[in-house]
Amino acid sequence: MTKFVVDNGPHIKSKYNTSKMMNHLIIALLPIIIFSCYKNGFYPYFKGYGTLFDAFKPILLIIVGIITSLGSEILFACFFLNKKNELKAYLKYSYAIFPGLFLALIIPVHTPFSILIIGTIFATIIGKMLFGGFGNNIFNPALVGYLFIMGTYQTAITKAGGYLSKMEIDTLGSATPLTNLGGLNYLDTYHNIVGPYGNLKDFLLGFIPGSLGETSALLCLLGLLYLIITKVINWRIPVIYLATVFMITGAIGYYHQLGLWYPLFHILSGGLMFGAIFMATDPVTSPTTPYGQVIYALLLGLLTVAFRFLTNYPEGVATAILTMNMLVFIIDRIGAKVRFNLRWLLILNLILFMLITSTTGYIAFNIKKVDDKDLSFQILNIKRQDQQTIYQVTHKAFHGIIKADITINHVDNKITDIIIIEQKEDVWSQIENADYLKKIIHNQADLDKLDTIAGATYTTNYLKQMAIKVMDDYHKRKEEYK
Amino acid sequence: MVVKIKLTPNKKMSIKNRILKLKKPDYVYIPLTNYDNLKCSCLVKEGDFVYKGTVIGMRDDHFHLPIHSSVSGKVKGIVEKLYLNGEKVSCVKIENDYKEKLDPVILKAKSPKRWTKKEFIARLKDCGVVGMGGSGFPTYVKYDVDVPIKTIVVNGAEGEPYITTDYVLMREKAEEILECLDLIMEIMPAKEGFIVIEKGQEALKNEFIKYIGTYPNIKILLSPPLFRSGWEGYIMRHLLKLNYHRLPSEKGVIVNNVSTIYAIYEALQYHKPVMEKMITITGESVKKPQNIIVKIGTDIKDILTFIGGYHDQADIKLIAGGPMMGQAISSDDLVVSNNLNGIVIMPNKTNNPYINCMRCGKCVDICPVNLAPVLIKNAIDDKTRLQYLEPRRCIECGLCSYICPSKVDVREYVKVAKEKVVK
Repeated sequence: MTKFVVDNGPHIKSKYNTSKMMNHLIIALLPIIIFSCYKNGFYPYFKGYGTLFDAFKPILLIIVGIITSLGSEILFACFFLNKKNELKAYLKYSYAIFPGLFLALIIPVHTPFSILIIGTIFATIIGKMLFGGFGNNIFNPALVGYLFIMGTYQTAITKAGGYLSKMEIDTLGSATPLTNLGGLNYLDTYHNIVGPYGNLKDFLLGFIPGSLGETSALLCLLGLLYLIITKVINWRIPVIYLATVFMITGAIGYYHQLGLWYPLFHILSGGLMFGAIFMATDPVTSPTTPYGQVIYALLLGLLTVAFRFLTNYPEGVATAILTMNMLVFIIDRIGAKVRFNLRWLLILNLILFMLITSTTGYIAFNIKKVDDKDLSFQILNIKRQDQQTIYQVTHKAFHGIIKADITINHVDNKITDIIIIEQKEDVWSQIENADYLKKIIHNQADLDKLDTIAGATYTTNYLKQMAIKVMDDYHKRKEEYK
Repeated sequence: MVVKIKLTPNKKMSIKNRILKLKKPDYVYIPLTNYDNLKCSCLVKEGDFVYKGTVIGMRDDHFHLPIHSSVSGKVKGIVEKLYLNGEKVSCVKIENDYKEKLDPVILKAKSPKRWTKKEFIARLKDCGVVGMGGSGFPTYVKYDVDVPIKTIVVNGAEGEPYITTDYVLMREKAEEILECLDLIMEIMPAKEGFIVIEKGQEALKNEFIKYIGTYPNIKILLSPPLFRSGWEGYIMRHLLKLNYHRLPSEKGVIVNNVSTIYAIYEALQYHKPVMEKMITITGESVKKPQNIIVKIGTDIKDILTFIGGYHDQADIKLIAGGPMMGQAISSDDLVVSNNLNGIVIMPNKTNNPYINCMRCGKCVDICPVNLAPVLIKNAIDDKTRLQYLEPRRCIECGLCSYICPSKVDVREYVKVAKEKVVK
């Protein structure tokens, strides 16, 4: 008698499924992967920088990330979950490649393979599998891995070369735009903040230093558009997140009379675009309720700005997302409640508004523009003697100023001596160990080509700048004396 | 952003075919039940002769709902048959004598020239008019309210894919529906009347426009062709822009399905109880999908034989109602009840593997009553958390299960939660 299938309705279902969503995600990521391989590997190689291995390093990193991620999940599934027999079916719906793929895209190009492997295993096992696998993790696995390797192996990565490709080290110096911004105490002219890396168009296209996949804002935005059209993600989180950062930094910039370029710089630099579009929207670790997503995105924007301005780590996106991941549980409760009770909405919006404005105000009033005359370079005294001129100058440094006496010989117009009178740098021992002042005197003809010391990049750069500025001034005055 | 889903209408297959009438089933099995499995007592016994329209059962509780025989003939006893919710209910088996003799009570009844509200409600009670759109809820309750009624809405938006009874009924009986609506508006008295039609159904619209000139207070409302636009809450909130708490009558609005309005029409004009019903027999597996007028209590097997049967495949489903809210039935031993609007027989399309929920929130975005189904699913064991998620609001439309990319049976979780909270 029973010949019809009986199950729960509805008896038709949408054609959309999770695997299709993941495929769309890969399609959205492809241009970014290709661009990062080109920008960090092949492009410098064709310009004559680095070896062939360096050219292939980005793509190798991504492949190693994917394989490690897949491998560690297979091993975990076999030995701890007893899925040996149904491995194929298990892997089909566990989307194991993503932690490794994402991790590879957010690390510096010079990360050693071993560190990437450790990070990926950490991300997969601790970040994903221990929570119960796909769909159950609280934190974004890739970011868990990222935070782990950044906390443990940062010096090793910096030693290996850090964020900049070999070409960028040569042409741009040694800092990412955000580190540079932090060094400038967050406020400076367009020339000093954006100038060293070209213009905002380069930021949009992605020809700036940064981790593998994050630099091209344009491709990230195209990815966002694709993901919204294919309904993989909702527009709320990425758009509100970016808009919040834009508004807050815009307000700070406005208060300090900086132009529209300042907020644009903030949303185009660092991992913000990539994080907002691909990491913050991870459905597993973000809120599900519409209003919850709004709160989540607003707070993400707020936290990102706060981390950027108020801590020593100028990149705030990863920490902000992980912090907010922790709160998703509560945010969703609020989000569900608000759906029935609109009175809550008003109160919550008021709280959020006050939180955001007060933080913005706090940051805006507390950061002070570095006065060019005051700190950057100031000549305190010039003593002209028969054979030499002694400049007493101060120059902006990473902490406060450096005060020095610089002696220039009249015969060959060269610096003969640099005596540091005052400095507060915490990396000064490295300068002394490297005998850097002597190196400056030795290489004074072509200071641009003098390498900085890894780990004391800023201080070395300021010292170089100080020497150059003194020489400039000396040459100018020499004309006058004649 | 509201995620809007246009369900593939699949309606064409049954619309174009001619409407058939199945007048002569050998036996009818009148289900002694009303919606939600409420038992009704039987008023006849084996061997009794009943007329067409004789009251053979009565709902047990405080609602007045008579159940009428749909043929004249001899009562053959009480048998168990499948009802549209998939459960067995007792039915009065009546042998058809093909004479179609109407009950003398019906023949004697006269319609007053001017109806009062009291007479109107009494007539609805007598004729056992129920919500024919699927609820089966006694209709007189909707009209028997103290609040002044301002608006009557005829709901012709048929959200369920495949099913076309409302469409065909409106196409065939546009004049009668307008007449009845006008009459109800006069009785209540209501100032305005609306007929809701889906956008894009131009032929239907023209049919109404032909007659609507004589009724200045009746207007046509166009609803978007979405699944949920057939729900009265959608009509209230999105088309009339009125918010209500529990029932539309709070705001002076009554929403009735087209087939209910037609049943009211027959009750008022001819004192005719609900004895016949148009249903859609459709689906990919049915050889000749079409709309057919059948007697209440007809065995689905008889109907299927009459219209030419279905393709017998291994993995098929028989669904009582539409594919979204309907119930899959284990056999074709089903009877037509007054709230059944169609049968869909189609290959099983939902044998998808179950994937872990990834909390994408699509069910939250789509839910027409603002629930958060994914959170309800995750909190299924925690009764206190379920309380504030308010699963009792669920209208069981099934959109959450429909949209889920991981193919989780979200609606079932919400249903379970609903029961837990009510307890």
